[in-house]
Amino acid sequence: MNEADFRKRIYSNPLEPDQETLEQASGDPQLRKILDETQKMEAEMQGILNTIDVPSGLKARLLAIPEAENFNQGAAHTTTQTLEQLAGKPAANANYFQYFAIAATLVLALGVSFSLTFAPTAAPNPAEIAFGNEVLEHLYHEITEIGAINRGGELPAVGLPMIRNAMAPVGTQLTASSASMAASVKFAKPCIIVPAFDSAHLILQSPQGAVNVFVINNSPVSMEYSINDDRFSGVVIPMDKGNMILVGESNADLSEYKKLFAENVDWVI
Amino acid sequence: MSEIPVLHGSTKKERYESLVAAFYQDLFRYAIWLCKNHALAEDLVQETFLRAWRSLDSLLNDKAAKAWLFTILRRENARLYERYRPELVDIDGQSIADSDEQEPEFKMDRELLVNAIKRLEADYREPLLLQVVGGFSGKEIAEILELNNNTVMTRLFRARAKLKTEFGLDSEEAND
Repeated sequence: MNEADFRKRIYSNPLEPDQETLEQASGDPQLRKILDETQKMEAEMQGILNTIDVPSGLKARLLAIPEAENFNQGAAHTTTQTLEQLAGKPAANANYFQYFAIAATLVLALGVSFSLTFAPTAAPNPAEIAFGNEVLEHLYHEITEIGAINRGGELPAVGLPMIRNAMAPVGTQLTASSASMAASVKFAKPCIIVPAFDSAHLILQSPQGAVNVFVINNSPVSMEYSINDDRFSGVVIPMDKGNMILVGESNADLSEYKKLFAENVDWVI
Repeated sequence: MSEIPVLHGSTKKERYESLVAAFYQDLFRYAIWLCKNHALAEDLVQETFLRAWRSLDSLLNDKAAKAWLFTILRRENARLYERYRPELVDIDGQSIADSDEQEPEFKMDRELLVNAIKRLEADYREPLLLQVVGGFSGKEIAEILELNNNTVMTRLFRARAKLKTEFGLDSEEAND
């Protein structure tokens, strides 16, 4: 076995060399040196690569998968079973469904009438209005980026990891769905809108110009409400453990982005 | 050879739990090299175990459990993230624990090593990480990567030869 063959064998599996390789090494100091160096480097490499931190909650989340799956399957099974049961008895239950449909319609109509008649006029409270103004004011900190995006230049897209890095301090995460991946995010940074709360600011390039998306982990507002100033208009949306705010130029239709982010932002903390 | 959890004679849930306990750390450490980001690696491992749970009954040979999981992970990575993978690497600093107990020289070696592994072409890096992080034999790596054994051995040789050259431990180029 020449030195090249020896190296090939050792490098392919340094910690478990075969008997022939070991014998070669024992009879040749140069080969012995190659073997020792390679094994030392291998041991160091294993030590280094196995110091990668594993997130502390990961195991618990993995162990919870069967329960979550069983729950989902149970729910699906119940729905399927119910649908099958109903589908199996169309004639016998026909009158029942007619009465049920009429009763449901009446309940709905009464509910709507009650809401229109007795519900108080919904409006954000002064603190929520002030919060909306803070968000609008914050936009002007990034007005250069917003202007560049509005001009439609070929700006580099921000990848999902950077988006997640920006959103992580807030306790939120963007789901890697096909819809969220298709969004053209050009800016993603943590920001401060209200001191003591974490927030993140994403800016998307859309056919209607720059669309700003904020997530912030302050208390969810009491209701969804609109915000606007001379240039921008948007909406504050209460979420699971905080708020999401979408803001675009005053004529922008944000409904598509509202749906996209409502469905793809998870509150993980 | 990779370690084997005790799976026989258990319920499906017990089998699953022993798989998680035995392999989730290795899977995460491999995942972080594949998708180069902590959050994505976590997602990837969760998706892998979700798939594993759903198809656990198809795992007939317990000895193949680890290779089976790594294969699922690689496929999920290709399916979910490969197209969107940016060249952003957060393996440095955040992911590899710093320890004050380590010698300063060792720390320098670690940074050099991580950077050297990152610079390896994927064809060389993948089998190397499967061997070092996953603990797989050449034959198991060949099955996971769907390559023949000789190709895997050659790539392992070249990967280490390149690393040794970078570390100045070896003046020979990997040209076999």
